[in-house]
Amino acid sequence: MKTTYIMQKEIRESILTSKGFLWYTLTSIILSILSYLFLTNSELSLLDQGQMLYMIMNFITALGILMGLVFGSDAFAGEIERGTLEALFISPVNKTEIAMGKLGAAVTNWGIIFVISLPYLFVVGKGGQNLLIGIAYLAILGTLLAIIFSAFSMGLSARIKSMKNSLIISFFIFLLAGAPIFLSAALRKTWFGMILDLINPFADAINTFDSVVIDSQGFSYQAGRVAIICGYTLLSLWFLKRSVSRLEM
Amino acid sequence: MIVNVENLVKKYDGHTALDGLNFGVEDGDIFGFLGPNGAGKTTTIRILTAIIKADSGNVVINGHDVFREPMAVKEIINALPESNGYYEWMTAREYLEFFSNLYEEEMSRQEIDGLLEAVGLHGKEGHLIRSYSRGMKQRLGIARALVNKPKFLFLDEPTNGLDPKGRRDIHDLLIDLNRKHGTTVFLSTHLLDDVERLCNRIAIINYGKIVRAGEVKKGTIEDIFFMSTKEGTL
Amino acid sequence: MKRLILALSAVILSITVNYAYAANRIAVSINPPSVQANMGDTITYTGTITNNSDKAANNIIAYISLSNVTQGKESPMDLEDWSANKAIKIDTIQPHGTYGGKWPMRLIDSGSYVAYITVVDKNSNIPVSSEMSHLEVKRILRLNPNNVLPVAIGEPLIIGIVFMFVALRRRKGVK
Repeated sequence: MKTTYIMQKEIRESILTSKGFLWYTLTSIILSILSYLFLTNSELSLLDQGQMLYMIMNFITALGILMGLVFGSDAFAGEIERGTLEALFISPVNKTEIAMGKLGAAVTNWGIIFVISLPYLFVVGKGGQNLLIGIAYLAILGTLLAIIFSAFSMGLSARIKSMKNSLIISFFIFLLAGAPIFLSAALRKTWFGMILDLINPFADAINTFDSVVIDSQGFSYQAGRVAIICGYTLLSLWFLKRSVSRLEM
Repeated sequence: MIVNVENLVKKYDGHTALDGLNFGVEDGDIFGFLGPNGAGKTTTIRILTAIIKADSGNVVINGHDVFREPMAVKEIINALPESNGYYEWMTAREYLEFFSNLYEEEMSRQEIDGLLEAVGLHGKEGHLIRSYSRGMKQRLGIARALVNKPKFLFLDEPTNGLDPKGRRDIHDLLIDLNRKHGTTVFLSTHLLDDVERLCNRIAIINYGKIVRAGEVKKGTIEDIFFMSTKEGTL
Repeated sequence: MKRLILALSAVILSITVNYAYAANRIAVSINPPSVQANMGDTITYTGTITNNSDKAANNIIAYISLSNVTQGKESPMDLEDWSANKAIKIDTIQPHGTYGGKWPMRLIDSGSYVAYITVVDKNSNIPVSSEMSHLEVKRILRLNPNNVLPVAIGEPLIIGIVFMFVALRRRKGVK
């Protein structure tokens, strides 16, 4: 219950604000532009429908992760910098409950981005292949990735106690996570590239979307990657719990 | 004795903040906790409010071991930290409601409005905290520290930065709280006239140790303090 | 001189015979021979590969190629962007048998193109290609495909309206 109160406070503080709505409006405008360009047969639409759906899914996932990182970095360091965390710690709420409340708000933020993206996914994927299964995978893997990156960033924020520094480190890690995508197709097929792809939860999610939406492959093809993402989820929650339990003012 | 502290030791990166601290606070006291900057006052309060852990020692508050039963202790104490920040986007009422919800016994809307009235914020309940003056925020901080009707209240430099009227209002509020509701107050300060006006017992801390403790006699605080700490300035 | 003429004739004859053997052994044709369509349409080319010999043809590879022949834009196209099937591997074509392959293709850019199917048989040194099928892709501008406009314009507006509603409600609760 206390976790719920913390989560409500976080949602009011970060989501139901003009800044929060500005983010969501921008998200929606970018998705509007992307969808329109994809579908209107201009020269930018050099993609088939599955490919478009896949690209929009990647964009939504990356945006969800980025916003999760901002949420996470502010979670503890931001409250310490604003002098508000001590009053919370004085209250009879344990640190894990506080962390879970904050994580709940970060996941809610992902949920809002997902809901905003749904009409675009339906419009872009209409009449194409694997739309519904693609959306289901986006809902599940996107949520897990939002948890992984937000929890990791929150843990860092509790350890470093500086919002700016935890945000920089989190962004750096996210860029590292995205780096294999920039490798050439040939390099990604080498054992080195394949391992790099496999141990990276972001690449795992994107490769799963590719496999599900474009290649129409079943769950047995995805099981390994999904298991790795689940593993990272548990690891990030453990990291968060350990980081906040050590947090001292 | 409502608070009993024994051999409290806390070190930060090799620096000893508390070096075997011993003292006790009686039920109903307004206990002045004095010391120069860096003496260990804030560290002591953070340990006593179960925010941080000590390296060794014992603290018992109202029969609860602070290190073993931190949640039970937090239900019966509250504190106003020295540099208390506020959720400035909330109204005063929302702020108190939020903190009240974190305790087993939640306050009703009427109780919250009554509390705001008691700290002199009547009529300002629905205003955003960001529109408050420093003195109003300090009053709100004290109101927040009373949302669980604590038996024991820690205040860390509560009159810092307030004008004379603001300081007097806080003094009156604390005296009222102590006399009417029997709240034991632990007042950490370096302002000697706060202590003289409010406290019935004091302890002076220097280099992480209690160097003097006892009852307050009017007009002697300043001499005792300087003799105990050998500090020229506070 | 006579010897030289004889030797040259022998070389030419040998090349011609080889070529004729290869051409006769495997043949490929493409259908339809010409297409006119719009951007965004999906068309399908059919390739018919015939084994004219008395022996089975094994491990044949067939693939389609597309070249842009629009004035000033002449270049081969990367078929991955056109969602065309990649190469087809045919395990066996029986003696005097045929194999029909299909290459669907999404037309993603306007212009004049030629498409042709090439068959590679590892037992032959010369690949065999079909005749060229001419493809004309017309540019069309669809302003509201898949009803994208109501979503693209409506959703940012709805979010803005929700924000105004939340902000107004908040303002009412705050003095």
